[in-house]
Amino acid sequence: MEAIADFLDSLVGGVDLVCYSLAIGSLFWGLFVLRPWCNNDGYTSALLDKTIALFYKGGFALAMIQLFKIILKIWMMTAILGKWPFPEFAETTQFTGGLIRTVLTLLLAGYAYLHLRKNPFSKQHWLIAGFIAIPMIVSGAWLVHAAGRFENQASLMTLTVAHQLAAAAWVGGVFQLVNIWFLRRHQLVPAELWPIMLKRFSVFGMASVAMILISGLPMALQYIDTWNGFIGTGYGNLLMVKIILLCMALGFAWLNRSAVLEFSASGNNHALNNRVPYYIEAETLVLVILLFTAASLASQPPSIDIPHLTAAWQEVLNTFAPRIPRTTSPTHEALIAGEAGRVAIVGQIPSPAATAWSDYNHNIAGIFLTTMSFIAMLSYMKRLPSAFSLFDRYLPLTKYWPFGFVALGIFLFFRSDAETWPLGPIGFWESTFNNGEVLQHRIATFLVLGLGVIELRARMTKDATSKLPFVFPILATFGGLMLLTHSHVGFQAKSAFLIQVGHTLMGVFSLVLASGRWLELKLDRPGKEIAGFVSVAALFQIGLILMFYREPLY
Amino acid sequence: MKSLFQLSLLTLCLLQIEAVSAHAVVTDYSLKIAPIHANQAEKVELTFNSQVELGLSQIFLVRKGDQHELLKATKGQKNGLIIVEVPPLAPGDYAIRFKVFAADGHLTEDVIHFAVSQ
Repeated sequence: MEAIADFLDSLVGGVDLVCYSLAIGSLFWGLFVLRPWCNNDGYTSALLDKTIALFYKGGFALAMIQLFKIILKIWMMTAILGKWPFPEFAETTQFTGGLIRTVLTLLLAGYAYLHLRKNPFSKQHWLIAGFIAIPMIVSGAWLVHAAGRFENQASLMTLTVAHQLAAAAWVGGVFQLVNIWFLRRHQLVPAELWPIMLKRFSVFGMASVAMILISGLPMALQYIDTWNGFIGTGYGNLLMVKIILLCMALGFAWLNRSAVLEFSASGNNHALNNRVPYYIEAETLVLVILLFTAASLASQPPSIDIPHLTAAWQEVLNTFAPRIPRTTSPTHEALIAGEAGRVAIVGQIPSPAATAWSDYNHNIAGIFLTTMSFIAMLSYMKRLPSAFSLFDRYLPLTKYWPFGFVALGIFLFFRSDAETWPLGPIGFWESTFNNGEVLQHRIATFLVLGLGVIELRARMTKDATSKLPFVFPILATFGGLMLLTHSHVGFQAKSAFLIQVGHTLMGVFSLVLASGRWLELKLDRPGKEIAGFVSVAALFQIGLILMFYREPLY
Repeated sequence: MKSLFQLSLLTLCLLQIEAVSAHAVVTDYSLKIAPIHANQAEKVELTFNSQVELGLSQIFLVRKGDQHELLKATKGQKNGLIIVEVPPLAPGDYAIRFKVFAADGHLTEDVIHFAVSQ
């Protein structure tokens, strides 16, 4: 239960930021982009209803999440400390600040639901909502990790709030664009509104990104004081991921802007209606993951505080150095013999067998993934280079590459839990239902097997309306999200960070895999093929990271 | 499709549970420059990078065989300073294990190893 509580705590941070973006981003959208009181652009009541619904639903969800965070903290403290945390917890900033923010958020959402919803074209009501939002936004300053710091506390709290506000404006605006596209597709708003809103948001989005950078840079300089701190700590590593994701999102934003400019110049709306909506969907995917990464970053110790735990850039690079994969495993007896010493707190003895066991599992999984993704890349080719043309007739077979997931699932079933059946003495059912970790591994194995079968069927199906193909990118997104949001290793040994850095990079590639496959399913040619190829190429990169993986002995 | 999506989310959430971790870290501790002497009570100073809610924190002495003993801790004069009272110890290997609640709302667990010699 303790582990579940802790996991939920980090996951809830991301959900909190998504809800905040939905509520505050929608408010900004109404005030600065939509400006309903002007009503020059043929706004419909359906548009205003939906826009405001996103606003108050985001607000109510945020209030619930805020309250849930407090309950979760109580649960965590009870589980971890083994005692009821009151009355001490009632005196903390987290408790009082959290409750105040919940009430203020409820006020904002309540006003939007009770008054703004009934007066959607009234400038006065939008402005009042804006004023009600101010204390709620400000109250958030006491809940960010700058609040616990000793130096430059006020300026860091202010910068964090400004950073969150700018991000919410951008992400919330993108949510609203998806909403407008949905309404346009169902002919609930005039078709002309789509390019108008895209153009207007383009300027607003650029201002938001500028604000994100202006507020983010001083914070980064405050929390990271050396290049090694940027490259060799969990905090720096996640910041780097945030920068990569920001660049990806800006790439999609640039494609959207180019399409808008092309439409303005030529009147050709093909890209505007057949590509931009799907770029925005992919951008949304990236931005949501970015928010979860930001939440994870907020729970990391800043690099400046852990110089003794910082890895040198050479050590980080060495993590990815190509090497011969381990294809032989230590015996099961050797692994079990070293376990007691490995997990001891006092008198810990590193277990070379456990490290080799882990390396073997990772490396073999990497061989599975590189092989299947290489075959997947071949499936995008119509013919092979002339030297290999003899094998052209086998190219149609490459579409069966997802079968590799099935083989990987079988491998994981045997190797994940050495102490249980079929390798260890503990029975299958006994281990599955009496040990949370084993249960998780069993579910993972089942998931990988299922993913192989689903993706195989998805690529075989002739039904153009089938939803089955979307399962793969959805699962890949969540896989990436989990890899990126569970990078809490900054305070642990440097070796733990060096393990984590590879997993973080795999998280980024998982996102490329997911968004590439998503676009492949949505776009027309030639973007479809390009996105599909990029997607499986990302899977190949994940395979390489796993194939060369080496766990430090500790 | 919707239920499949929800099931996927739940499954993936459960697959990723990891150890407790968070933001407050020990940036300095007195054991580095002042080792504990055998068979006499000592005070160990831990300096954290963040404000710590002591009422919601626990600090343990861990002996060989991973036996835990709760230690008394008080706040020091400086920001982030926590003073831990360590009982008389025989020569050997020990660890200080702490679970602290930082002012930013994060719970941290960590271990500091040390040895006592004659």
